[in-house]
Amino acid sequence: MRTLQCQSTDLFTEYVRDWKEKGGKVLGYACVATPVELIEAAGILPYRIKAFGHPDTELGDAYLARFNCRFCRSCLQLGLEGSYDFLDGLVETNGCDHLRGMFENWQHVKKYDFFHYLKVPHFLREDSLEYFVEELSLMRQAISEYFGVDITDEKIMRAVDIYDEVFAKLKKLYALREKVPPAVTGAEVMQVLCTGSSMMGEDFSAMLDEVLAEKAGASPPDYKARLIIMGSATDEVDLIADIESTGALIAADALCFGSRAFWKREGESADPMQLLAERYLGYLFCPRMFTEYERRRDYILETARRAGVDGAIITYNKFCDLHGVEAVSQRADLEAAGIPVLVLEKDYGSKADTGRIKTRVQAFLERLGK
Amino acid sequence: MYYAGIDVGSLTAQAVVINSKGIHAFKSMGVKPHPVQSAKAVVDMLVQEERLPWNDVKFCVSTGYGREQVQAEGLSQDNMSEISCHGLGASFLVPEARTVIDIGGQDAKVIRIGPGGELIDFVMNDKCAAGTGRFLEVQARTLGLSLDELGMVSLNAEKILELSSRCSIFCETEVLHYLQRGHSKADIAAGVNRAMAERVAALVRRVGLEKEVTMSGGVAKNAAVRAELERMLNVRLIKYNVDSQIVGALGAALLARRMGGN
Repeated sequence: MRTLQCQSTDLFTEYVRDWKEKGGKVLGYACVATPVELIEAAGILPYRIKAFGHPDTELGDAYLARFNCRFCRSCLQLGLEGSYDFLDGLVETNGCDHLRGMFENWQHVKKYDFFHYLKVPHFLREDSLEYFVEELSLMRQAISEYFGVDITDEKIMRAVDIYDEVFAKLKKLYALREKVPPAVTGAEVMQVLCTGSSMMGEDFSAMLDEVLAEKAGASPPDYKARLIIMGSATDEVDLIADIESTGALIAADALCFGSRAFWKREGESADPMQLLAERYLGYLFCPRMFTEYERRRDYILETARRAGVDGAIITYNKFCDLHGVEAVSQRADLEAAGIPVLVLEKDYGSKADTGRIKTRVQAFLERLGK
Repeated sequence: MYYAGIDVGSLTAQAVVINSKGIHAFKSMGVKPHPVQSAKAVVDMLVQEERLPWNDVKFCVSTGYGREQVQAEGLSQDNMSEISCHGLGASFLVPEARTVIDIGGQDAKVIRIGPGGELIDFVMNDKCAAGTGRFLEVQARTLGLSLDELGMVSLNAEKILELSSRCSIFCETEVLHYLQRGHSKADIAAGVNRAMAERVAALVRRVGLEKEVTMSGGVAKNAAVRAELERMLNVRLIKYNVDSQIVGALGAALLARRMGGN
């Protein structure tokens, strides 16, 4: 875990450096709707873009407005200042408009030779699945042509198998966090996920074996209350650590740098492209999807009940319109289900705001009688 | 036997000492650069001016943003969030209170409490000065008024000028614009106080208003903001019979008494 602690806050990790030195290619993506199996099937490292270090955003602010989410502005800042120069290209999605603004301004300045825009439908219907299959085929073709690799059906199915293995192991890690007493904390789980999001699936799977073996008998400090956390994109391990420092245990999550990235990736089809479309579009528990609120709510309630939580934290970055709006219904539904809620609007990565965040969490625990 | 509460906020620090009968003494002062310095200074003031030996204090609870550091320094034996402390303090002063509006230097909170002051729900302002004491401070400075004058002056307003922005920075520009066009300070101040009350009323509505309602924190001393809030929420804000800024420290002292076994 000590190695993980370092890697989970580095952008250009030792692992990525080795990969590049061996001549490996790296593609950056940001959205949980990006099928990493397709990138991995091309022998390319799928690298999820993060904003570690929460940099000042003076370069990002020159291209995005202050009313854009700071996570996106921070990623853009890192891209523009050269921290991501090890990437060989970017895969954009229409996850949200802030994200699109980030990608397109990044590309406008950096002009990667490989830049692909994967258009993800906002509906889950038969025709949108068909559309997404076409989009995935275009992405497959673009990667294949630019990098000169043959992405065969077999390679895709092999990558699917590898990620199924990774997801099964992540579920075991989550079970270690959910059990009473837990063997792993919320901050540690996020470290693992962040680290894994910069690795090839096979290597992440091997790392998970080590983490599971190390953590099986561990006993983190005692806690006062078990909470579930949900909300907008965040890679802030320190936010989770701050919350847990007040005596809470983040026993479960519905974050896209968390369970939403892997919990349900199911599909029936024998055709690899159709299968990827089903796995991703079929289980995209994100408020960017229209008419899917009930499924998202059910997923959250099911997760909360399984983890036996005392309360929920809905956290979102200032100006995140998708999660800001979603929080209203989420709060009402969670409270109707008997789960008290703390809505925590915050600026991404603002360490100066730690005191106010901890005050609200501490008061929430006091409200829970903990 | 005495019990104490220390509340170190962003602008002011308070210490309250209680005994089995009620409030024995309290002090309030502007903060020092570090919360521990503030806590020490306000305790020294209390000890010296009230001739109260601190050794006679059986248990002390700290609250406010420096609560953990104050405890780590050994000045208190436990800490609690200012949200819970304001609820406890308000309930002690006004037992029928179910909603507490607390507006401090950088925070605005609306707290719903039960019959014993226990925390039922709360909402705190986002990371923004709008709707906090800092908002009033910025506009008062632009108008060349003290914080106390801002409330008093606006009571003489002939008309309440509209401020379209709730952002402290943009609002300051609008205040300057009105000044340059020759509007009276009273009319502008009334607009500032109304803008402030609108932000706070929105917070109240978010958590849900339940009567009776009290108001604590420094902004509670601004008569114009109070009057605007009463009008907007159609409710009477019950006044405390002590300084509204000591409610958090009082809540901490009450908790100290509970923890200290009395």
